[in-house]
Amino acid sequence: MKRKLSKKNTELFEPYMLITPLLILLAVFILYPVIANIVMSFFKWNGIKKPEFIGLENYAEMFKDEKFWGSIKNTGILLLYIPLGVILPLVVSAVLREGLKGWPFFRAALYLPNILGYVIMGSICNIVFRKTGPLNNILNALGLQNLAKDWLMSPSLAINSLGFVYGVWLRLGFGCIFFLAAMSSIDESLYDAAKIDGAKWWKTFFNVTLPSIRFSIEFWVVLSFIEVLARAFSFIYTFTNGGPGFATFTLEYGIYTSGFVAFKMGYASAWASVLFVFCAIIAVFQVKLMKREAE
Amino acid sequence: MNNRYDRTLKIIMYTFLGICAFVALYPIVFAVMTSVKTPEEYVTNKLGFPSKLTLDNYSYVWKNGNMLKYFMNTLLVIPAGLVFYLFICVSAGFAFGRLRFPGRLPLFLSVLFLMIFPQMLLSMQIFQICRSLKLVNNYFGLILVWVAYFSPFGTYIMTTYYSTVPMSLVESARLDGAKLYQMLFRIMVPIAQPMIIVITIIGTQSMWNELPFSMLLLQNADMRTITHSLGMLKGQYGLKDPILMAAILCAASVPIVLFLFFQKQITMGSYSGAVKG
Repeated sequence: MKRKLSKKNTELFEPYMLITPLLILLAVFILYPVIANIVMSFFKWNGIKKPEFIGLENYAEMFKDEKFWGSIKNTGILLLYIPLGVILPLVVSAVLREGLKGWPFFRAALYLPNILGYVIMGSICNIVFRKTGPLNNILNALGLQNLAKDWLMSPSLAINSLGFVYGVWLRLGFGCIFFLAAMSSIDESLYDAAKIDGAKWWKTFFNVTLPSIRFSIEFWVVLSFIEVLARAFSFIYTFTNGGPGFATFTLEYGIYTSGFVAFKMGYASAWASVLFVFCAIIAVFQVKLMKREAE
Repeated sequence: MNNRYDRTLKIIMYTFLGICAFVALYPIVFAVMTSVKTPEEYVTNKLGFPSKLTLDNYSYVWKNGNMLKYFMNTLLVIPAGLVFYLFICVSAGFAFGRLRFPGRLPLFLSVLFLMIFPQMLLSMQIFQICRSLKLVNNYFGLILVWVAYFSPFGTYIMTTYYSTVPMSLVESARLDGAKLYQMLFRIMVPIAQPMIIVITIIGTQSMWNELPFSMLLLQNADMRTITHSLGMLKGQYGLKDPILMAAILCAASVPIVLFLFFQKQITMGSYSGAVKG
């Protein structure tokens, strides 16, 4: 009897034993940094000397900083590319779903940029988009000289190139695989019924495909917000380096330059706190969706 | 009539897919072609096929660019990180997915919540922590940070997987008197093998492509990983494009090989976010 009780007891602790390593790592390297970061945003701190409490001064300085408002505006422009970044993979995966001859090749081709990752693709795209790069060479060869531009040197072209390349093109392959997976669970009889009704392709797309994968579309929208707000640093760093000037500067980039180039870590923490608020809002949506799926 | 509609539709679809695939593949094809041209030929012949293949650019980055050293660094740090990452994801995923205990859901949701924060937001404090623990310029520090940052997603995938494993399997193992880690390694690891391969690939990809943390924590140039060295390369102006492309493709080699051999698993990994319609 006694032995049985102690066995029951160890069983009670086992789950905690299994999750403790993960929780410790998360507490030290994620939870603590997030909280400490908010605290440090009220201090003047260069990362080496003792921090000095200055109240809201960092925030006052930030709200007067043109670069801050510029980075908010740039983030806004990048977010404008999300609708296209949702629609395009939806259409492509609906086409791939038709099972045309050779469709796995197209799927693999589209996915390849995602495998290579942001640093590699950013470095390649940097060369492709240069004034003397292949993109302009192709446009010239096609007789479209008017369209050949100095993509990375004009502020508005640079941020829009970034929006299209990062927000739409680079994530197309991942989006296709994501939506194809969702579409594979649609009941095939729905399509047969639409076919018997003589429905055209677009009609079926809007009336059958889209409503059946609503959940996945919502999830993809949330993922897209995360990618733009919280995962873009490596790509921007290698693609435009935040330039020209501050044209592709984002909040992440601001944290990097104020914190690790100018060593104003207290000030950078104020930027990071703004980013924290945005991320926390998206995270709430994401957790809600994941919870719905896990149940 | 109907037949004609189908045929037109097919033509439109192929054209559309063809354009998309061309746009996706062209930059990579361009990178490969450029990397085997001599810098002189590249200036006059940007788009065409190289008239003469040369591997000089590769041998240049391999020898003068220190790529071999960076490659070896990466081959040391990523497998070590993976072992740790797998242990954490599998054990936590099993606990969250299959065991029932007080606080399970709130803890699991907090793990998901912590997944979102960008590297740059955490970077300043992580740098301070690593400095006080003497983990700057130390692979162990980078591994800890990588595992902390990447394991929530791996844990999420393992959790959704283990929640589909029948409870009776756990109970019968208990009746056999298997201890916790015996049960984990003898039963739970083997049955989850396909998913473990999936998260191994996701983990390798994440670590291979990671830049911000390695940039901050490995300040000693000799310790850089290959992707990190690529991020730093573009700062060196005057480096010719063909040489740069050769360096980029060296860094791309392992992801491409992974893709060729594990396409199915990689596709499956991307499925895990979207199993329900």
